[in-house]
Amino acid sequence: MAVRPTQLRRALLQSPSRLRQTAPNTIQHPELQHLLSAAPSAFSSACPFSSTITTRTQNTPDYAVPNPSRPTHFGFQTVTEAEKVERVATVFTSVAESYDRMNDLMSFGWHRIWKDYFVTSLNPGFSPLTSGLDPRAPQHILDIAGGTGDIAFRMLQTAHVVNGNPDVRVTISDINPAMLTVGKQRSTLLPASQQAALSFVEANAEDLTRTAPLSPPGTRTPAPTSTIPDASVDLYTVAFGIRNFSNIPAALREAYRVLKPGGVFACLEFSKADAHPLLNTLYKEWSFRAIPLIGQLVAGDRDSYQYLVESIEKFPSQAEFRDMIVDAGFVVGGQGYEDLTGGVAAIHKGMKPRV
Amino acid sequence: MPSPPAASRSAGAAAAVARRILHPSSLLPPGTTSLKPCLRAATTTTTHAHTTTPRHHLPASLPIPTRTSSRPYHSYSHPPPPGPFTPTESLLLAAAYRHVPTHGFSASALALGARDAGYLDISPTIVPDGVFSLVQWHLVTQREALAARSVALFGDGQKGPNVVASRVEALAWERLLGNAEVVWQWQEALAIMAQPSYVPASVKELAMLADEIWFLAGDVAVDPTWYTKRASLSAIYAAAELFMTNDRSLGFRDTQEFLRRRLQEASEMGNVARSVREWLSFTASAGINVLRSKGVQI
Ligand SMILES: C[S@@+](CC[C@H](N)C(=O)[O-])C[C@H]1O[C@@H](n2cnc3c(N)ncnc32)[C@H](O)[C@@H]1O
Repeated sequence: MAVRPTQLRRALLQSPSRLRQTAPNTIQHPELQHLLSAAPSAFSSACPFSSTITTRTQNTPDYAVPNPSRPTHFGFQTVTEAEKVERVATVFTSVAESYDRMNDLMSFGWHRIWKDYFVTSLNPGFSPLTSGLDPRAPQHILDIAGGTGDIAFRMLQTAHVVNGNPDVRVTISDINPAMLTVGKQRSTLLPASQQAALSFVEANAEDLTRTAPLSPPGTRTPAPTSTIPDASVDLYTVAFGIRNFSNIPAALREAYRVLKPGGVFACLEFSKADAHPLLNTLYKEWSFRAIPLIGQLVAGDRDSYQYLVESIEKFPSQAEFRDMIVDAGFVVGGQGYEDLTGGVAAIHKGMKPRV
Repeated sequence: MPSPPAASRSAGAAAAVARRILHPSSLLPPGTTSLKPCLRAATTTTTHAHTTTPRHHLPASLPIPTRTSSRPYHSYSHPPPPGPFTPTESLLLAAAYRHVPTHGFSASALALGARDAGYLDISPTIVPDGVFSLVQWHLVTQREALAARSVALFGDGQKGPNVVASRVEALAWERLLGNAEVVWQWQEALAIMAQPSYVPASVKELAMLADEIWFLAGDVAVDPTWYTKRASLSAIYAAAELFMTNDRSLGFRDTQEFLRRRLQEASEMGNVARSVREWLSFTASAGINVLRSKGVQI
């Protein structure tokens, strides 16, 4: 965390010139086109997500409402949204233990630097100096798909230690109890004050009205007991998680719902290095040839690693994903995203406007 | 302004840099000059848009603080000016800018502005370049406000070669006064602009300012002096801006004097540039003749 933002910026940013344009509010992503044309009739009243419907605004487009039987992709395969949830769960239950090694392999260790930069650039817990009694304002950070705690722990470090603001709490939410359990174990190494500011909940990012406390390993996930209220979150983060979601538009709308006006959606995800053909070719060669093989050798699990590589390939481009964020109601600054390491990863940010 | 870093350090260095900048421009092939009108066309569109908007009824000689603080651009309730900012950025930056005189070009100013606008401490994180964007906000709004100042100063009076030089000085001085309200924060702003990743954008903004000043002053010459004029004005302006951060004289009179002297020197230097150019073209054609004599097809 000792890395200065300017240094990181220099090291990470490949294209300093920005296309300072407002995001066009058009959807070009083929997947979205596909989703837009999906028949609404496939959505039956017996759907397990029906409880959410009441909380969604009436003008939510059909493609942003989870539909268990709608087709989506799982890597290069086409599956239903419900099947994808199951299969992603299997992948992450399987890789939970080898997760750190996996991340190092897939990013050549860069993911640590990307995560540092992501958190530093968000500067959680920062409050201006004012003449008031306590200049520091409390913040609630929701780390979605927070799995093993990588982002949440950095957030606490920056907020509590660097910015001296103990009034920042972080909720780690993940659909997968195996990943959360690893995170919970790792959190025991944190200072007590930071542990006290953390909470762990199981939830599908597409429906944050149904959350459950983390269940002990081996037990069944308890029925959802609570909800993340509307307009209750200052900062919503999702790092290397969103490409695994079955219905990304639905997740973006949930992010919008739980954020306060002025709250920020921030996403760190593998992206497209298309602007740098050589880097792109090298990275694709590496990921498609080497990663599944190494996955087999290191974790004895070729298929899970094959999926992770394919899911990166299937994820929309920087501009397409920015358009999806804008479509969900967010406003952006600049071009709405920032490339890291030539676009191998990218940070997208959006703010919930006051209406 | 970090552009020619040496230029910012001292006045003498500024002249030296200006002289160095003069050289390459005189080496440009004749075809290159055709770029100029296109470049000008791009900037004039916004300029004309400004001169036609009736948002400047300010007399030319108000006391400095009143004038700068009452400039309509700086109100965040005002529709955002055109520029490189998205509407949301404009909203956050305009609100933050009101805190710059007390809090500097800082994260605190950004957060306080966000609070004023009804947003959160975390909201300004979507502004792509953070505090540098806040500096850019100052640079862009001040540059764009010059068109209105120009009308207030000169009206639509006739332009000619003998008035251009005095107008350049008057406009550069107007622009310097635009820094008066944030002058205590300006060294900090220069440090932000000097960060390597921000230098290209800062230099570009300085070049756009020089271009705007020459244009508003009524300079219509499209000839090889186009580059030298802009380069030397950039260097002089940058040096004067730095000088101003240490100027304690009443109404920044010393800065005004500094600016006048440097512009005077540069106009004398223009003659130097012309002779340098003549020498270069002579040498170049002589070189070509030598090559031809050796059988090279040129
Ligand atoms: C690659 S991990 C990222 C973990 C952590 N954020 C990091 O950066 O190290 C992806 C996580 O997304 C979670 N995930 C997948 N689908 C999800 C969903 N629909 N809702 C919530 N989390 C989900 C997985 O369980 C997994 O923990």
